[in-house]
Amino acid sequence: MSGRPSPRGELDLSLVLVSLYKGVVQRDTHERAWQHLLHLQPQVRDHVGVVGLQLVVDESEGYAYLRQRPEDDDATTDAPRLVARRQLSFPVSLLLALLRRRLALHDAEGGDVRLVLTREQMVEMVRVFVPESSNDARVVDQVETSIAKVVELGFLRRLPGDDGALEVRRILKSFVDAEWLHDFDARLAAYRDVLAGQETA
Amino acid sequence: MEHDELDSLRRHPAWRLLSADSAPLVLDVLGAVFVDSGGGPMAETDLVQRVDDHLFALSRTCPGRYPRPALEYVRDWAEPGKGWLRAFYPPGSDGRHYDVTPAVEKALRFLDGLRARSFVGTESRLDAIVTLLRDLALGSEPDTERRLSELERRRAELDREIEAVRTGRSPLLSDTAQAERFDQVTRLAVDLLSDFRQVEENFRTLDRQLRERVTRWEGPKAGLLDEIVGSRAGIAESDQGRSFHAFFDFLLSSSRQEEFRELLAQVHDRAGAPSGARTRRVHHDWLAAGQRTQETVRSLSEQLRRFVDDQTWLENRRVLDLVRSIEQHALALRDTGPIPVAADLPDTHPSLVLPMERPLYRPRTKAAVASDDVVEADAVLDATALFEQVVVDRERLVGAVGSSLAGAEQVPLAAVVGRHPLREGLAELVAYYTLSAAADTTFDSVVDDTATDRIGWTDRDGVDRVATVPRLVFTR
Repeated sequence: MSGRPSPRGELDLSLVLVSLYKGVVQRDTHERAWQHLLHLQPQVRDHVGVVGLQLVVDESEGYAYLRQRPEDDDATTDAPRLVARRQLSFPVSLLLALLRRRLALHDAEGGDVRLVLTREQMVEMVRVFVPESSNDARVVDQVETSIAKVVELGFLRRLPGDDGALEVRRILKSFVDAEWLHDFDARLAAYRDVLAGQETA
Repeated sequence: MEHDELDSLRRHPAWRLLSADSAPLVLDVLGAVFVDSGGGPMAETDLVQRVDDHLFALSRTCPGRYPRPALEYVRDWAEPGKGWLRAFYPPGSDGRHYDVTPAVEKALRFLDGLRARSFVGTESRLDAIVTLLRDLALGSEPDTERRLSELERRRAELDREIEAVRTGRSPLLSDTAQAERFDQVTRLAVDLLSDFRQVEENFRTLDRQLRERVTRWEGPKAGLLDEIVGSRAGIAESDQGRSFHAFFDFLLSSSRQEEFRELLAQVHDRAGAPSGARTRRVHHDWLAAGQRTQETVRSLSEQLRRFVDDQTWLENRRVLDLVRSIEQHALALRDTGPIPVAADLPDTHPSLVLPMERPLYRPRTKAAVASDDVVEADAVLDATALFEQVVVDRERLVGAVGSSLAGAEQVPLAAVVGRHPLREGLAELVAYYTLSAAADTTFDSVVDDTATDRIGWTDRDGVDRVATVPRLVFTR
C-alpha cells in the first residue's frame, strides 16, 4: 500500500474550498478537509485571492478560515466585500473580551486544551458589570441573549446535554486579539470622556 | 511526620475520602470501574450507568443509605472539595469524561494494607534489597579495578552454581520461598500499575509549575528565552520524565517483552504458584497505562510549547492588561444607562447567497397511522440473513499474518494487507485487530497509538476507501 493521499489518488480542492466557504475548518471536526487543506494551501490561496479573500491557517491550534484581504492593498478591483462585518452590542463585546481573558488564563493554568464554561459561570463573569438595580432574572436573560449571539458568531459552541455547558472555541483568539481589544478599550475611554464633558458643562 | 504536616494532610483527598460517610460506595464503585479493570478515562454517561447499577444493587442490601441519583454522586465526587474524580473534555468528544485521581488508588492501597495477611514474606524482600544494593554499589563505583574484581567475584559464584547444578547438588526453591516471591511480584506489579496515575498527575503538576513560572516572568526578554528553553525540556528532562522514558523503552522493546511473557508463563504454569489472572496479563495493562501516560506527556509538551511561544506569551500578557482596562471602563459606566459603544467583528466565513437553492414551499402530507388493530405476527422468518451480511474468515487472516511473518521478527498490518488485499473491507480490517486476543495464534500484536497507517481497499460497489488506523504490528 503506497501512501496515497486520497482514495482517488488526488487531493480534493473542491472539498477544501467549499468547507472553507461554509465556515471554519477544524482539525478535529473536519478531518478530511483539514488533511487536504494542509497539502493544498498554495492552490487555495490563489483561488480565494481572486475574490478578495485570504486564507488563515493555524496549524498548531488546528483551524483555518477565510478572511477579507485588508483594504490597504492598493485596490485593483471594486469588488464588494464577501465577508460581512457584524456590529456587536456593548454586552456582546464585553462578553467576548471576558471570554478572551478566560481563555488566556486557562492556557496559563495548563492541563486541558479545551475550555468549557457553564451558563452560570458566564453570568457570574458578567454580573458585576450590570447595574445593581436590575433583578437577577434580567441579568440571566441578558447573558443568555449575549451567549446566543456569540454562539451564532461561532466562538461558543453548545455541548449536548442539559446542563448548559458551552465550549469556548479557540478560534476566538485570532478574532478577539490584542488589537481588537485595544480598539474597544479606546472607544470606551472616548465615551467616558464625552460623558465627563457633559457633566462639567 | 510532625503534627502540623499531619494536620495539613487531613485536607488531602485520600484522607477526606477515607473519612467520608459515603467512602464504601465511592471506593466500591470507582475501584471496580477504574482500578480493578486497569481501565482509562470514561464518558460521563457510561460512568453514571455503572454507578446506577451499583446503587441499584445496594438499594436491596442497605435500602435508603444512598438516596441521591447517580449523576449527582458522580458530579459531586469531581468537585474541588472532594477531588476523587478528574473531569475533563477530551479532544474530539463533546461529553464530559472522568478518570479517578491518584488519591483513590492511595486510599484503596491503604485499605488493602489493613487486611490481615496470612504470612508476611521477609526473606525474599531481604534478598531483593541485597540485589538492589549490589547493583547500586557496582553502578556507582568509579574505580575500574574494584568493578572488575566485583564482576569476577560474581563469575566465580556463578561457576560454583553451575557446578552444583551439573552434579545435581543444587536444591530448588522451597514452596514457601516460591510463594513468597510470587506474592512479592504480584504486589510490585499491581503497585506499578496504580502508580501510573500518580506519574501522570506528576507530569500535570510539572506542567502547571512551568506555566506559572512563564506567566509570572517579569524580567527582560532574553531571560524569558532562557526560561523557555529551560522549561521546554522541563517535562522530559525531569527525574520523573527520565524514569518514565526508560520504563516505556523497556516495555516497547520486543525482546524484553518476549522474555517477560515467557517468565510469567513459566511461573504461572508451574505448580505451587497460585493462579492470578491479574499478573498474567499485567504487562498488557502496563502497556495500556503507559501509552495513556505517554499520550498525556506528548499533549502537555505540545501545549506547553505553544504556550511559551514568544508571540502568544506577549499577546496573552497584553490581553490581560487590556481586559483589565476595559473592565474599569465598564464598571465606571455601569450606572449611566445603555452604553452606545459598539465593536464590530468580521464573520468567520464569507456569506454566499444562492436564492435558487432554496426549495419552494411544498405542502406537507400527513401520513395516516392506523395502529388500532396490531396483532402478534405468527410468521416464522429466518433471521440469519441479517447476520451473514459479511463473513470474515479468521483462518484466512491468521494464515495471511503467518506467511507475512515468515522470515521476519515483526510485520506491520499495512504490509500484511499489501500482500493480502482486504476482501471484506472494514469488517476484515477490524478482524485483524482482534486476532492476537485469541489463544490459537502463534503470534502476538502491539498497537502503537502514536503512529497511524492508512489502509485502503475497494468495496463491493467498486469505490476506493481508505481508513486511518492506529499502527498494528504483529510480532513472533
